[in-house]
Amino acid sequence: MEKKIIYLRDTDSAQQDRINDFFTLFSNELRDTNLIEQVQLVKIADIGLYEKGVTVKILPENIVYIGIKNNDVKKIIEETIKNNKIIKELLYEKKSKQIRAVLKNCGYIDPESMEDYIAAGGYKALVKVLTEMKPENVIDELKKSGLRGRGGAGYPTWMKWNFARGMNSLEKYVICNGDEGDPGAYMDRSVLEGDPHSVLEGMIIAGYTIGSSKGFFYIRAEYPLAVERVQKAIDQAAAAGLLGSNILGSNFNFELEIRLGAGAFVCGEETALIASIEGKRGTPHPRPPYPSVKGLWDKPTIINNVETLANIPQLIAGGGAKFASIGTEKSKGTKVFALTGKVKNSGLVEVPMGITLREIIFDIGGGILGNRDIKAIQTGGPSGGVIPREFLDTPVDYENLGKLGSIMGSGGMIAIDDTDCLVDLAKFYLKFCVDESCGKCAPCRLGGYQLLRILEKISEGNGELEDLNKLKKISYAMQKASLCGLGQSASNPVFSTIKYFEEEYRQHIVNKRCLAGKCKALVYFKILPQKCKKCGLCMKNCPSNAILGSREAGYVIDPQKCIKCGACFDICKFKAVMKE
Amino acid sequence: MKKLTKGDIEKVDPAKKDIGKNWIKVGMSTCGVAAGAGEVYLALLEESKKRNVEIDIRKCGCQGACSAEPLVEVNVEGLPKVLYGRVTKDVAITILERHVRNKKLLHDYIFEIN
Amino acid sequence: MKKDRLQADLEGLVRKWKDKRGNLIMILHSVENIYGYVPRDTSLKLSRLLDVPLARIYEVITFYNYFKLEPPGKHNVSVCMGTACYLRDAASLIEEIEKILHIKEGQTTKDEMFHLDVVRCLGCCGLAPVMMIDEKVYGKVKKNEVVDILSKYVKEEE
Repeated sequence: MEKKIIYLRDTDSAQQDRINDFFTLFSNELRDTNLIEQVQLVKIADIGLYEKGVTVKILPENIVYIGIKNNDVKKIIEETIKNNKIIKELLYEKKSKQIRAVLKNCGYIDPESMEDYIAAGGYKALVKVLTEMKPENVIDELKKSGLRGRGGAGYPTWMKWNFARGMNSLEKYVICNGDEGDPGAYMDRSVLEGDPHSVLEGMIIAGYTIGSSKGFFYIRAEYPLAVERVQKAIDQAAAAGLLGSNILGSNFNFELEIRLGAGAFVCGEETALIASIEGKRGTPHPRPPYPSVKGLWDKPTIINNVETLANIPQLIAGGGAKFASIGTEKSKGTKVFALTGKVKNSGLVEVPMGITLREIIFDIGGGILGNRDIKAIQTGGPSGGVIPREFLDTPVDYENLGKLGSIMGSGGMIAIDDTDCLVDLAKFYLKFCVDESCGKCAPCRLGGYQLLRILEKISEGNGELEDLNKLKKISYAMQKASLCGLGQSASNPVFSTIKYFEEEYRQHIVNKRCLAGKCKALVYFKILPQKCKKCGLCMKNCPSNAILGSREAGYVIDPQKCIKCGACFDICKFKAVMKE
Repeated sequence: MKKLTKGDIEKVDPAKKDIGKNWIKVGMSTCGVAAGAGEVYLALLEESKKRNVEIDIRKCGCQGACSAEPLVEVNVEGLPKVLYGRVTKDVAITILERHVRNKKLLHDYIFEIN
Repeated sequence: MKKDRLQADLEGLVRKWKDKRGNLIMILHSVENIYGYVPRDTSLKLSRLLDVPLARIYEVITFYNYFKLEPPGKHNVSVCMGTACYLRDAASLIEEIEKILHIKEGQTTKDEMFHLDVVRCLGCCGLAPVMMIDEKVYGKVKKNEVVDILSKYVKEEE
């Protein structure tokens, strides 16, 4: 009989020790049936399933059983391990929710080795393009595929490329936008670090298609490892003749160069990014003219996000139709998200368009930390919005997220639980945009500042109901009148939090309370006498001597002296200090 | 380096890709390195030599399970391919001794990503 | 010593980049990598060598967060305030560091030992909250661990 392995995992987070009991049950049973030598029993750390009870996976057959009870153990050993029979009642047909297309090589190949990339089928798309495809054929495939820009706005990639291709100019440029400035998102970094050649290949194909011979990688200087690996990839490709003159014996020439960002969020906006590559301050300018007409050094230029470019090789190799077979009607292919915030398994996930938010957060992300309640999901970073829990079953695509007042964005997805305050979150994003506003246009420069001041006023307990209207009015003006995407979208977090959580704003304004306990001025600490063990630890640790009392009489907090630092709350071992 | 030709790339068949049967891959992206992957990688290199464990040790990019970094993937003939998470230097040495040499999987460190 | 070498290098640097368009930011990056900031006399020299007005160089330096005009401390403490870290209470780490070092964000301690910066996303969201000292990243930092982490660097000096 072939050697078997049993993976054992308790997928319910509340039952800490149960798994050891099951381990004993299984090992006793294996010993009793004399199978202990043939079968390895292993407790594992994560089985990719959550809240499904005790779960086992039997290898090499890959059989997964869920919700196992004590008396199932004997049956599993007898029927499945001994006789290779499947127990239908326990069986779980595990379907992976993730599709690895862009991240196909990430974590599998050595990113510093071009041989590894080629061995995994890399640069085959480039060969195909150079030998059997004309630029217009590439455009056709892109059109068939329905690929849309992964940087956030979702503009059809084929249209962008086609505009630039149609321009009559000796000089044209291809730019890879690797200025991933959205705090909380790192999809592009992972791709550049894990599979740089796929982005290179996408850029070379882009160059061939639009008739350009020069491309730039624009990468954040804060990503030194990504810069190092991309530079290595460029050097390797140049040495192998995949960059330079007469690439692979064709008459196509293409060169690549890296330019570093310098910590300006606005440079993710394409016209600002162009200014930055030109060596200037990254201030945007009005469009049209679009970069595909008049871009870098006034020449036709296409700017694509890292993930968009990383999609190109597999799209060309497999054909546009195959690419379009995944996803929804208007959003095709897969999307990489950086899943973070209050989710158990934060990390990088790649899912087909059209998957629901619930599946991403609960089936892949494992649910919310500490099994707390999810309050909302934030997508699109400082330019996006929040989506309340009622819409968890919304399929993820450009249109649906837009309808809900958020955006797909570049791929940040942040889970927010009931201990997070949305007024504070809106303030956080707004502060970011105010810091990053380049100052060129008034709606963004002044509007952002005013919004921030009102939010600060509200979170300090000085809000008035009229402020809600002011917030809405200013937000609207910024959306309509700002010069570039940064300003137009900077008020989105405010807009969407008011739209869905106006009640929470009212709590702050009318009741002067922050129920999540984030806005310090609206938090009050209290000692609960029934829980207090009179140890006096809080009094010793209070920096402002605001705690009065004695070991005999118990303690109270003097609200006049309390500076709301939370030291007593943190130090109390009996949870007798309450925030409200 | 010699210039590649179209033929060189066309003749590769990724399905038949043979990267050997015994290998360990360490995820070495920023998040992995921040969590200590560099130390783990060095420990694996040094200790495998010191302990005479024959195994091919490589670097790779990010597999995505950031909260479980550092991630180490192990493939040893006769055993399924396994992804270990939250690997420390000590765990790395245990992997060499227990998994690679004695062909026994480690408890409590295997991660299966959905 | 380092300074002398750079002045010699500056001409080499300019020679390397002179023919490339839009070179100013890349040259400033190289300068910043060596000094940790962009000294005024270097900017003056660059202005001459590149034939670019000093005002344009300062325009670029002051626009981008990455470039600094003041020398940094011996150890650069950066606390990440990206969204993931913000939600996992990075603010309390900043408070704690400010309390221990008696400096505010963007300042250097009197002994020039530590410089504190609040930065946008270091890209290690899975390890939030994250802080970085020089090149070393510390993940899942707890408020009460801050003092130990900082004191390691002080002890190294002794």
